[in-house]
Amino acid sequence: MEFVLEAKHLRKEYQDKLALKGLDLQIKPGEIFCLLGQNGAGKSTTINLFLGFIQPTSGAAFINGLEVTRNITKVKEFLAYIPENVMLYPNLTGLENLALFSSLAGYDYQEAEITDYLVRAGLPADAVKRRVSGYSKGMRQKVGIAIAVAKHAKVLLLDEPTSGLDPKASNEFSELLLQLSAQGTAIFMATHDIFRAKEVGTRVGIMREGELVDVLGTTDLNANELEKLYLNYMH
Amino acid sequence: MNKFRTIIKYEWLNFRADKGLLLITLLTLITGLYGIYYGTTEISRQRQHLANLSKITAHDVENMKVQFPGEADAGDVGYYHSTFAVNHPDSWASLSLGQRDINPYYIKLRLLNLQSQLYDSDNINPLKVFTGNFDLAFVLIYLFPLFIIGLSFNVFSIEKEQGTLPLLLSQPINLSLIVAAKLSFRAFIVLGLAVLLSLTGMFWAQVVPDSRIVLWLGAIVLYCLFWFAVIFLVAALQKSSAFNAITLLGIWLLLTMVIPALLNVYVALKKPVPQALALTIKQREVVHGGWDKPKEETMNKFFSLYPQWRDTTQIKERFVWRWYYAFQHLGDVAVADLAKDYQNRLKERQQLVENLNVLSVPVNVQGMLNALTGTDLLAHLAFMQSATRYHDALREFYYPFLFNQVAFTHNDYAKEPQHSFTSTPQISLVWSGYYKLALSFLFTFIVGLFIFKIRFLNLK
Repeated sequence: MEFVLEAKHLRKEYQDKLALKGLDLQIKPGEIFCLLGQNGAGKSTTINLFLGFIQPTSGAAFINGLEVTRNITKVKEFLAYIPENVMLYPNLTGLENLALFSSLAGYDYQEAEITDYLVRAGLPADAVKRRVSGYSKGMRQKVGIAIAVAKHAKVLLLDEPTSGLDPKASNEFSELLLQLSAQGTAIFMATHDIFRAKEVGTRVGIMREGELVDVLGTTDLNANELEKLYLNYMH
Repeated sequence: MNKFRTIIKYEWLNFRADKGLLLITLLTLITGLYGIYYGTTEISRQRQHLANLSKITAHDVENMKVQFPGEADAGDVGYYHSTFAVNHPDSWASLSLGQRDINPYYIKLRLLNLQSQLYDSDNINPLKVFTGNFDLAFVLIYLFPLFIIGLSFNVFSIEKEQGTLPLLLSQPINLSLIVAAKLSFRAFIVLGLAVLLSLTGMFWAQVVPDSRIVLWLGAIVLYCLFWFAVIFLVAALQKSSAFNAITLLGIWLLLTMVIPALLNVYVALKKPVPQALALTIKQREVVHGGWDKPKEETMNKFFSLYPQWRDTTQIKERFVWRWYYAFQHLGDVAVADLAKDYQNRLKERQQLVENLNVLSVPVNVQGMLNALTGTDLLAHLAFMQSATRYHDALREFYYPFLFNQVAFTHNDYAKEPQHSFTSTPQISLVWSGYYKLALSFLFTFIVGLFIFKIRFLNLK
């Protein structure tokens, strides 16, 4: 299969707003596609359509060749999602949270394996068995990453995942994405962070008012050129 | 099914870690145990009281023997000697006291007119009636819904409010399965506690093990499921936890207090029942009037009812006991229609309540449990009828002494009829309650399912 994530004329209208204007997009395995755009540009709407959280007005989203709305449960076997602010069950430990989500995804790991996933995602080993209610945003984000990695998903959907992370954690996160990409995971990341997009992305898309106005290869231009181009579109 | 078990497992871990949930569960357990203690203590007290009555009767007989050392006139014995009609509680009564606290469970009887004695009971503490009974049925019917609400009001809304819903919904799991598993876990906790308390109550009360065990447990399980259906319906609206809590408490208030109070007023207006006092006063007027009527007129009336005694005696004296008891009985006969009407009106009122209790599931279930434990109004009316028959038996025992003018000896006390009545369950009423309860559950669940299907369409 050539594309693991695909949008065909994907359109979403709300009563008073056109949120997405016929998006066409294909992403191959191992590719990192970064979607840049202002708040309200349609980035989260696109992710929510791929997740099946909302229904398209017309067109279709495909994950691993399956049309999302018709295979709502099946497609979730192939995708993982990290929202901007990962929220977990506060009364459970990091270990229990990961065990729960992995189990729901069909993976029943041993405790040592779960701990390994969490530590590899950057969570301090002594925090693994502490309740999540005492975690910082960054720690929760790392558990979110561990959940996504442990799922062995073909597609990773990220909605501004580095928002609120410190530079070190953000950098570690980028390295992790590159590792996953090298293993063949297709990554679709909505972000405001132009430099991060340029750093990890294979391609960068610019979205404005629900429309994908440009798609660029990251090897074609440097970060400053990308920023200029982006700002031009925004104005 | 594995995913269902996974959610159940982590719901359990979450429950175990939540001090608030543990606290309300513990409180419910303690109130349930107190309810069992309250019921068994009350019934033990009644049993003790009833056991003392036979001692009182025996003591009374001894006093009579001292007062009348030789042969006595049966009229004197019938006048001074008293005995009791007793309503023994069913072995199940302590689980649901029903009306055993407001209706007399024994009646002191002499050979005098019956009707004034039937309603001559002790005064009831109105505060006690107002507060009601804190028995197991009360805990299960009125407090368990609050427990269910406390456990489940945010069953789905909390996923949105704490932000876990997106991660949860990004897993390959059906939303209906999530809701079903979360509600099932809470149902396990609630039903486990309800069944545990019920079985403890049955064991504690040493109930006769019969089919009522299944009927009781079935009613409690179905009742709890009804409340879970209400939770499901409200959760399906997809509102906030605060909205859910207020709505559910409102429904609880409506079903347990507002509708029962309105039903009470409606039934009282629709089926007014004259006070037993009116009946007693009328009978008293007739009995007292008997003193002034010609004896022949009184006796002829009496002989028309009991022709077998017509030729036994002729009354020439100013006072004889047989004449006295004849006009006492004629007092009862004079108000027989009123008494029957009173009983019928009570039954009609009960029937109306039976018909209307479909509007309030708690009232329906309370009726079911009272019928199951033999503590409802019908059980009390059956006791009153039994007491009436006992009074008839007493008259039939004393009349040969009175009309044949046979002396009453000390040995005759032992031959005096004794009374014993134990309430029996009204199983047919329980079944009728089951149908209504099942209908209420199904209706609520189906409406909830309908709303769920519509409202959750965008949250696959």
